[in-house]
Amino acid sequence: MTVAVEGVGTPPRNREIADIHFIGSRILIYLSTLLAVSIIGFPLLWMLICSFKPSDELYAVPPDFLPRQWTLQNYSDLFLQTNFPTYFANSLIVAGGATLLSLAVGGLGAYSLSRFRFFGMAAFADAVLVSYMLPEVLIVLPLYIYVVKLGLADTLIALIISNTAFTLPLTLWFMRAYFNAIPASLEESAMVEGCTRLKAMMRVTVPLALPGIVSVGVFTFNQAWNEYLFALIFISSERNKTLPLGLANWIGRDTIYSWGMLLAGAVMVTIPVIVFYLLVQRRLIVGLAEGGAKGD
Amino acid sequence: MAKPGSAALAGDRLLAYTTLAPSAFLLLLLSGVPTITVFVTATQSVSTGDSSGPFVGLDNFLWAIREPMFLTALWNTFVWVFGSVVIEMLLGLGLALLLNQSFKLRGAARAVILAPYLIPTVVAVLTWRYMLHDIVGILNVILLDLHIISHPLLWLNSPSLAMFTVIMVGVWKFFPFAVIAILGILQSIPQEQYEAARIDGASSFQQFWRITMPYILPVFLLTMLLRTIWTFHKFDIIYLMTGGGPLDATTTLPVLVYLKAFDDFEFGRAAAVALLTFAILAVLLAIYFVLIRKAEARQ
Repeated sequence: MTVAVEGVGTPPRNREIADIHFIGSRILIYLSTLLAVSIIGFPLLWMLICSFKPSDELYAVPPDFLPRQWTLQNYSDLFLQTNFPTYFANSLIVAGGATLLSLAVGGLGAYSLSRFRFFGMAAFADAVLVSYMLPEVLIVLPLYIYVVKLGLADTLIALIISNTAFTLPLTLWFMRAYFNAIPASLEESAMVEGCTRLKAMMRVTVPLALPGIVSVGVFTFNQAWNEYLFALIFISSERNKTLPLGLANWIGRDTIYSWGMLLAGAVMVTIPVIVFYLLVQRRLIVGLAEGGAKGD
Repeated sequence: MAKPGSAALAGDRLLAYTTLAPSAFLLLLLSGVPTITVFVTATQSVSTGDSSGPFVGLDNFLWAIREPMFLTALWNTFVWVFGSVVIEMLLGLGLALLLNQSFKLRGAARAVILAPYLIPTVVAVLTWRYMLHDIVGILNVILLDLHIISHPLLWLNSPSLAMFTVIMVGVWKFFPFAVIAILGILQSIPQEQYEAARIDGASSFQQFWRITMPYILPVFLLTMLLRTIWTFHKFDIIYLMTGGGPLDATTTLPVLVYLKAFDDFEFGRAAAVALLTFAILAVLLAIYFVLIRKAEARQ
């Protein structure tokens, strides 16, 4: 545990014992980290490796760890023989649409929640948290009635709007925290210099909150990109399926679709998520560093 | 902030409410009205696809609490939540303590450990279902090789094993949340406390129980509660792994709501089950709010 600097201040005769103790604990740390990382990382590594195996190797018993013959066949099958590109495009539209809607609506709302204290706003903030925690299966029943009634069944619009039921509370909650961290005095001094409140918000606060906006956008996008239940219930036609729905329908039909194609699909669905997080990670660090340099 | 009574206040109020209005409207539309609608639906005998049916009072609720399937789902939900959350929190604490040490490649280790939480659920399910395949699945192959098991296990097809398997996959997918939450609070512990304890001759075990644990406890409990709430109404990972089977062994309450509504087309009864689920959840939410208020008051 926390024994890293135990050697400091110990009498000389205990020095050697402390050193052995220190080295021992180092080895323990590295070994347990290695063990944890291998177990946790293995499924994803296995997914990646197997997506490059030809189909006879995927069904080999016992399997080889690395493919004897690396192939891109699974990926080309995925794009040429299935509706994967359609699913991908639909998922981009749904996740992108829900993100834009949540950021536009929720960004404004979060600003209001952060800067003003008028009647009902504290209660509204609580309601936001509750609505984020509502079970999806509870909301989906009435939404299904509305979607059918409004003739929106099997449309991407229905998915974009219903995804907002959870991405909007997320945006409101996180953006409020980001706005809270930006001192209102910055806006006030802009207002003293003649800006209106709205102008001060757009010119001072929004640029400062940009790293926050980007990272909330990524969270929101990821949530909608992942969403399965709404798609399962609202979407029926092949041309409107999103990635989670499309891929899930292939599982269990492994006689028709090979595991290779499924695993290649899984890799392709994961790539945008990884790329986005790498993007945000850098933005987040830059944002934090800037905030620290400017001080409170 | 605006001064009371000034003309600026009226302008601020207008701005405050107009900027909030679109959010309020959408949330009302997507959370508020639906929640009320479920109450109405639950008192009707209505099939899926129809928007209303004859009023039956509390019949759907009475049906639910007498229905063996509901009790099975309630018990399964308890096992699923308890098993998942306990393992996630213990694993989360252990790995957070590990990642709190400084060592080479710590950033890389953290990225690998965080990865399962970031990937889409359907990806996790696909990968694990391939690994758990009775014959070609790598997990059975490895365990047979190591002589831990003597014959291939039917991870998802045996009623006695399926819940364990789903919990295992769920823990793998969601425990990084606990790691990140606990790691965050661990890194904010003032190091002087440890130095003082070391001068007093406290062992690292004592330091953990006297300094680390009391310091992180509020965040630990809050994280545990959040995980409990989310695990409680989780639908997709269970449904995609097993569809609630085999023989209802993994049918939790959210899965039951779905099956009632979209397999049996009994919409009213599904709504009643959803509301009973929500009632249990409401208790958890109430505790969550009390804890949050306490934490805010302490700051």
